[in-house]
Amino acid sequence: MKTSLAPPRVLPARPSVPGPLNRFLAFAKAAYAGLTPDQKAGALVALTAAILSVWNVVQATGYQDDEGTYTAQALSSLRGDLAPYTYWYDHPPLGWLQLAGLSWIPLVLGQGGESAVGQMRYVTAVFFVCSAVLVFLVARRLQLRTPIAVMAGLLFSLSPLSLVLGRQVFIDNVGVPWLLLSFYLALCPQVKLWNHIGAGLCFAVAIMSKETLAIFGPTLLLALVHRPFWQTRLFSVVGFLSAGGLALAFYPLMAALRGELITGQGHVSLQDALSFQFISREGSGSFFDPASDRAELVQGWLYYDSPLILAGLGASLLCLLRHDTRWIPAGLLLFSVPVVLGNGYLPAMYIIASVPFLALAVAVATDLAWRTVTRRVSSLPGFGEQAAPSKNTLLFRRLVRAGTAAVLVIALGALLLPHWLPINRSVLTAHENADWDRTLQWTKDHLPHEDTALVPYSMWSDLNADGRHDPWKVIALEKMDRDSDFEVHHDGWRDIDWIIEGPSTGRNIDGLGLTNASIALENSRVVATFGAWKVREVLNDGARSTSTAPGA
Amino acid sequence: MMLTTILAVVIGILLIGISVSLLIIAVSTLYVTTHAWWDPRTQASTSYEELMPEMAHSFSLIMPCRHESELVMRTTLDHLCSQDHPNVEVIISVGHDDPKTVAIARKLAAERPEMVRVSVDEGAVKNKPRQLNTALALCRNDVVGVFDAESIAAPSLLRHVDSCFQAKEADVVQGAVQLINYRDTWYSLRNCLEYFMWFRSRLHAYAKRGFIPLGGNTVFIRREVLSSVDGWDSDCLAEDCDLGVRLSVRHRKIVIAYSPHLVTKEETPDSIPALIKQRTRWSLGFMQVFAKRDWATLPTLRQRAIAWWTLMQQHFMAFTGLCIPICIITAIFGKFPLGVTMLTFIPLIPTVAALAFDMCMLREFGRDHGFKIRTYDYVRLVLATPFYQILLAYSALRALIKFRQSDFRWEKTRHAGSHLGYLGARA
Repeated sequence: MKTSLAPPRVLPARPSVPGPLNRFLAFAKAAYAGLTPDQKAGALVALTAAILSVWNVVQATGYQDDEGTYTAQALSSLRGDLAPYTYWYDHPPLGWLQLAGLSWIPLVLGQGGESAVGQMRYVTAVFFVCSAVLVFLVARRLQLRTPIAVMAGLLFSLSPLSLVLGRQVFIDNVGVPWLLLSFYLALCPQVKLWNHIGAGLCFAVAIMSKETLAIFGPTLLLALVHRPFWQTRLFSVVGFLSAGGLALAFYPLMAALRGELITGQGHVSLQDALSFQFISREGSGSFFDPASDRAELVQGWLYYDSPLILAGLGASLLCLLRHDTRWIPAGLLLFSVPVVLGNGYLPAMYIIASVPFLALAVAVATDLAWRTVTRRVSSLPGFGEQAAPSKNTLLFRRLVRAGTAAVLVIALGALLLPHWLPINRSVLTAHENADWDRTLQWTKDHLPHEDTALVPYSMWSDLNADGRHDPWKVIALEKMDRDSDFEVHHDGWRDIDWIIEGPSTGRNIDGLGLTNASIALENSRVVATFGAWKVREVLNDGARSTSTAPGA
Repeated sequence: MMLTTILAVVIGILLIGISVSLLIIAVSTLYVTTHAWWDPRTQASTSYEELMPEMAHSFSLIMPCRHESELVMRTTLDHLCSQDHPNVEVIISVGHDDPKTVAIARKLAAERPEMVRVSVDEGAVKNKPRQLNTALALCRNDVVGVFDAESIAAPSLLRHVDSCFQAKEADVVQGAVQLINYRDTWYSLRNCLEYFMWFRSRLHAYAKRGFIPLGGNTVFIRREVLSSVDGWDSDCLAEDCDLGVRLSVRHRKIVIAYSPHLVTKEETPDSIPALIKQRTRWSLGFMQVFAKRDWATLPTLRQRAIAWWTLMQQHFMAFTGLCIPICIITAIFGKFPLGVTMLTFIPLIPTVAALAFDMCMLREFGRDHGFKIRTYDYVRLVLATPFYQILLAYSALRALIKFRQSDFRWEKTRHAGSHLGYLGARA
């Protein structure tokens, strides 16, 4: 082969064409350089939270039925309905309407192939990041030092409670950033009326995302007014209350416009829903009864993050020392009332809203400790601020600061890390949904499209999207008993051909009193098992009548 | 079938459009009415400057009168003449076709010949701006001020205004006017509160944006500035607003100042027809000013937009109170989709919130002027709102019709002197 003897052409060094990633990095670098130190700190919190919010989020934690419910309702609202089944005022719809509004985000991020709930978890990640940044911003509004405010944001983002519950598709996670934003606005140092009106509106959005957040109302009002008198205070309070109250009125207004405000024959109503949630729903028992669901739930929360819960509660007492942070212990106190004194139904995700408060309490206490030590040192004879700053005093002061910072960091690390590391490692690496995935795949492959199946809500959207598109062919478990439309489409439990049984199926049947579902389950046989997941075929040829005592 | 669907869609889109506009109007109205209470700093910035040690200006005060009683005129004049400013002259401005008032004016002037003179307007067409222009020719001092015949000036007002001219190097200082006979009729409470909002808050909001429709009472203008724009527009029904617009366009420095103890006190119109006449005149005046298009010569689009909005908002506002319920009823009975129906309710949020702020303002009005506001007054305020809104809408509509017919006759408000009974109320 003849090699070319042509002299190598000497070309001027071509500037390397930047790839899209390089261009983005260059842009990010330039943008970052233009930020103030505070904005850089906020960006750091946002970046950390963003990474944590999506890391392994589809694999762990296990998909919950509530996540499936909100996902299904969000997807259904994209088609113009508030829910795939009869909307019965279980919650105000704004939570999943927001999820629906942002449901394009995972597709843009190239995460289109996940399960419906998994995909919606990427949407929840947006709210997770907002919450983390807002914890940082609220801490800055409380005039905590920037590193300590960053710490507050990181405490929130790294708490196992956030990593486990905060990344799931719960409407609490949608409401929390609105709640934090309302605190941020209420604490506006220039006491601006429009910020306070905004605080009222944001709080209304928070409540209409998840109604349990209403418990923070008095705390928010306290945060707003509990500071030295200012001339326009009356206007601020009236603006806050009227804007918030009027926006909130849109929920009952919606019910009234649908003719479903007051209880009545043949339709669901807001009144019925409220009386179910607050009165007739089976309670979680007493906090003081160790065998109750409530005590078990609290144990569960403590299992995930006892250090932050206990340290936060302790630190919140120190918050009483500062005039402008007293709302933090007040918020935690109000939040604890239903947990400790109540007997009603306590949802597992209730704890989510308290995590920012706990993180802020720890941050305020840390800031107090820092200030106390540095102030004490300044007042030492010979080393005080008044002393002529000789080389030695400056060195000493610097040493004391570094020492204090090191002690605080080590103390917090020793308190939190031994507990956090194993749990967080598991959340960030485990594959808890492998069985769920296999069950879904098997079901898609084997269940005839014309058959009727009773499925957990966590799997509902995926099965429905699998060419079935009929909420009365793929039925969410509780709808068989709890939506009267079931009778329009089916004639009793015998119409059910399949049941997908997950780890929560039995608990839901007991907890919600699902009689028909229970009978169908009893009259079925397992055809496939994947860990805790089973696919059952219903023996609908009448092996047992409805009158047979269960468990026989 | 097809036709009804198309009709429904068209009405639905209309409803959405109208609701969004109503929301914008209601929010912007709320924005200007609450401006003074945005934060303590804004509140502080709306008040008069500290008193200067030396007075640097001399004042010519014009007091336009038409069909006034001697009691009303004498009281007003007494308050002007007893100002503690060293350099003041008063010119009572009257029309030759109103001999009774001319006689009273001459009699009152004769009592203080060194201080008070009378200007008689001999022109065939009679209105306030023409009277003012005739009187302006007689003025000799640096600053020209206007006081309506039925207004009660605070004794140290001029010294504060003088200080304001000095401290802010102003060309115009607009003082505040307050109606005070709030207990007299159902509408007077609303009317009083409206003045309170206007001078306490709205004018300051406009001033911040640099486009100010001036008021016609307790307004002070440097004489050479006034002469440079040829005085008041003698054919405009809102000559005060027009002057403000023309001076704003020329970037003259206009300062709005409020202090509860320095407001000029006035009375509300003594009957509903009188109120409607006054309102129609104002609305028509604003329309005239709008049609004159002085505002359109402003250099930037943003400035023109602000000017456009400031002049138009008055009219829009009058109708929002009526349009909101109409939209809601249409949406409900037309069985529009839930989202559309809910949207028609959204303008209610700022509208009802404004009512809550009205109550706060009433409280402050009472505190500022030493009136004891009772629960009954708050209830009255709320209950009167829809009816007052109807009056405003009716007046605006009347003005619009007159505008189309080019009927710009001056409908004068009669003064009964009922505010005089409230003067003792201040602690």
